[in-house]
Amino acid sequence: MLRYNVRIAIKSLRRNPVLTAVIIGGIALGICASTTFTTVRHMFARDPLPGKSANLFYVRMDNWDPHTPYPTTPNAPGLPIPPQISYRDAMALMRSNIPLRQTAGFTGAMTVYPDPRVARPSTEAIRLCFSDFFTMFKVPFAYGGPWDKRADAKAEQVVVIDDATNQKLFGGINSVGKRVRIEDREFTVVGVLQPWRPFIRMYDLNGLFVAPPEPVYMPFSLTPSMQIRTSGNSDGWKSAGNTFADFLNSDTDWVQFWVELRSPAEAEQYRRFVDDYVLEEKKHGRFPRPMMNRVTTMQDLMVESGVIVPQVTAMAAISVLFLAICALNLTGLLLAKFLARAPEVSVRRALGATRVDVFLQHITECELVGLAGGVLGMLLSIGAMRLIGKLITATSVIALDSEMILAALFLSLGAGLLAGLYPAWRICSVQPAVQLKI
Amino acid sequence: MEFGPIIRSLQRNKVRFLLIVVQIAITLAVVTNAITMIRTANENISKKSGFDDDNIVWVRTRPFSPAFKDLPYRVSVVNADLRAIQGIPGVVGVANTNFLPWGGGGSSGEVSAGGGDGSKFRTQMYYNTPGILDALGVHLVSGRPLRDTDLDDDPNSKAPSTAIISRELEKLVFKGQSAVGKQLRDSDNSVVNVVGTFDPFYNPYGWPIHEYAVLYAGHVSRSGAMFLVRVAPGSLKQVIPQIEKRMLQANDGRNIQMQTIDEIKDIYNTQGRIVRGGMSIVIALIVLVTGLGIVGVTSFTVTERRKQIGTRRALGATKGAVLRYFLLENWIVTNAGLILGVAAAYGLNILLVSKAGGAKLDWRFLVVAIALLWVQGIVATLVPALRAARFSPVIATSGA
Repeated sequence: MLRYNVRIAIKSLRRNPVLTAVIIGGIALGICASTTFTTVRHMFARDPLPGKSANLFYVRMDNWDPHTPYPTTPNAPGLPIPPQISYRDAMALMRSNIPLRQTAGFTGAMTVYPDPRVARPSTEAIRLCFSDFFTMFKVPFAYGGPWDKRADAKAEQVVVIDDATNQKLFGGINSVGKRVRIEDREFTVVGVLQPWRPFIRMYDLNGLFVAPPEPVYMPFSLTPSMQIRTSGNSDGWKSAGNTFADFLNSDTDWVQFWVELRSPAEAEQYRRFVDDYVLEEKKHGRFPRPMMNRVTTMQDLMVESGVIVPQVTAMAAISVLFLAICALNLTGLLLAKFLARAPEVSVRRALGATRVDVFLQHITECELVGLAGGVLGMLLSIGAMRLIGKLITATSVIALDSEMILAALFLSLGAGLLAGLYPAWRICSVQPAVQLKI
Repeated sequence: MEFGPIIRSLQRNKVRFLLIVVQIAITLAVVTNAITMIRTANENISKKSGFDDDNIVWVRTRPFSPAFKDLPYRVSVVNADLRAIQGIPGVVGVANTNFLPWGGGGSSGEVSAGGGDGSKFRTQMYYNTPGILDALGVHLVSGRPLRDTDLDDDPNSKAPSTAIISRELEKLVFKGQSAVGKQLRDSDNSVVNVVGTFDPFYNPYGWPIHEYAVLYAGHVSRSGAMFLVRVAPGSLKQVIPQIEKRMLQANDGRNIQMQTIDEIKDIYNTQGRIVRGGMSIVIALIVLVTGLGIVGVTSFTVTERRKQIGTRRALGATKGAVLRYFLLENWIVTNAGLILGVAAAYGLNILLVSKAGGAKLDWRFLVVAIALLWVQGIVATLVPALRAARFSPVIATSGA
């Protein structure tokens, strides 16, 4: 029966190709617009580390000026506490053994010296972090792996490099164990990443979080001896001193701090640990403001940091309304099309087709149109998303994931069904006698 | 006018015309709110920095030679760079500065008026060599510009630093009095002598301090130095390769990166451009789709009424009368949709303002959109209505 209905539907659609094209095109535009804009929103809103992000917590402590709170803006009314913590506090927190894993981190800029026959020296963004970083953020390795804890403790000169850097420096071979000069020191490669481009740089939501990850990673503990400064934001309310040691010891906030906690109970325990630490520091005259410490899950942090720009939500809402228009439009066109066929349907009814038969036949046609429009719309939106991805940053890739493909298919079938219900009902309830009288 | 017959026929085909009414209502709601979003985006994109953006290029050095570890060496290289760039034909102004227009941020701190009531004001703060005003194309309003003698590169110096401030900051901190010759205290509680004020200054910042700036006299060279170079109008293309060449001649222990301020501003405006482009396409498509819907439904109506039209023509109705009938019918349906649409537009707008940080709807956009939809209705109806007008009166008497 289904095959018969599909065959009839295709016949009917081919009878008037212009009208069919208009109908399918209309649905395709609606599906294209709504999937494009909802996918853009979905890219920002979706969980960057499924199954993991609920256990990753970002730590903040209010060490700001006693006289004025950390400034917030009318546009992004976040919490009035500094978005990062100071180096000395990060080092103190690292001593806790409550978290399963933990890492402090920031981005620096350093000069990498390739073999002079390969390339000129160049300045690269380098992430300073602890060995747990790679496991916590599910960073995929092609060769080797993270450095070990001993490298963290002893500030060993080891690096992890990304795929592009491995191509540039070593022609893409397994370069684990090879050496590379960074600034005035020799480093040993311990790991090479697979090509890795998360849409959101979820481990550092300060600044341009749609930027690609850093190409090179090295132990955080190299910071003091190599005098590495952040190339990201740093916030201070009083002098950071003159020497690098002063800077590290100051209340300037420029380090991101993440912990991985196994359970809510552990999170509670860790929050108490942070509060106790701040209370202890208060005794030494630091943290002059009222206590305000935050240990926030990654998901909550993303909402709070305004990763989802309101305009993106507005565009998604408007594009869904656009799909509604396309469905209404489809209803009108199908109604016209079906009713014009009343005499033909009357003959079928007179020859014994039931109302249900007629209804199913026409709904089949609607679903066929919806599906065709949906597939075409998705193809169109792939192109549209490429374009928008390029506009966000040169390397951003917005792609349909299985979730969005399912949603688009469901939407197009739903639109076809909703749009077709009334016309199909109207056509199956025509009176054959009236039509056949002539 | 045929209001009576039109209303009666609409009542008999409620669903068909209701579809059009709802489509037009949603279209009006979407078009007006999309225009509002486009306008907000446009306002942001067309904001003026007050600088000669089109003719400025940002130059950044990335040293790799170990000699750059030494501060006096870095300062001497910056001075050599300034001389080298200044000597390129077409260069109007150059400064070593950590200020970058349209970078989406910068550096900031708090200041208070020296000897004032101690209230603090957050402002943008940058270090610059004296050429900064020429490099930005900004005018000195009062006092004097920065001079080479103001530069103090000793990091341990306790002497007051020298700075010029933006006129908006002068108004904020000194309440209408001149800032020239007065002092500021900054976050370190060190003293800053204000020697001049300048205008205009606008650089969007994360905090609402876009128009406040303190420009200190000082070299900036840490892990590289940054320069702003302004050239004679239209000569950026010729000057840019020269800059890299001359700077590497002066010192090749580093890499040079360059970006024009227009490119940087483009990146800053990405989001606005996505909104503008996306919403323009949505408006065009939605009007097209609704138009096609009207064409479809009216065509169907025309076909269905062939015999009635023929009969009217046979009884003496002119082609014009037939055309007018369909146009009037559509106009009534359109207006019903627009009335519903005004409510829908405000409803959607309230939702967008509260949930998605949108701007309030301007009633003038409603007028524009209503006019647009009237035109759309007429054009879309005209196609099938003209066909109806051409029906021959013979149809009335022919069998089928």
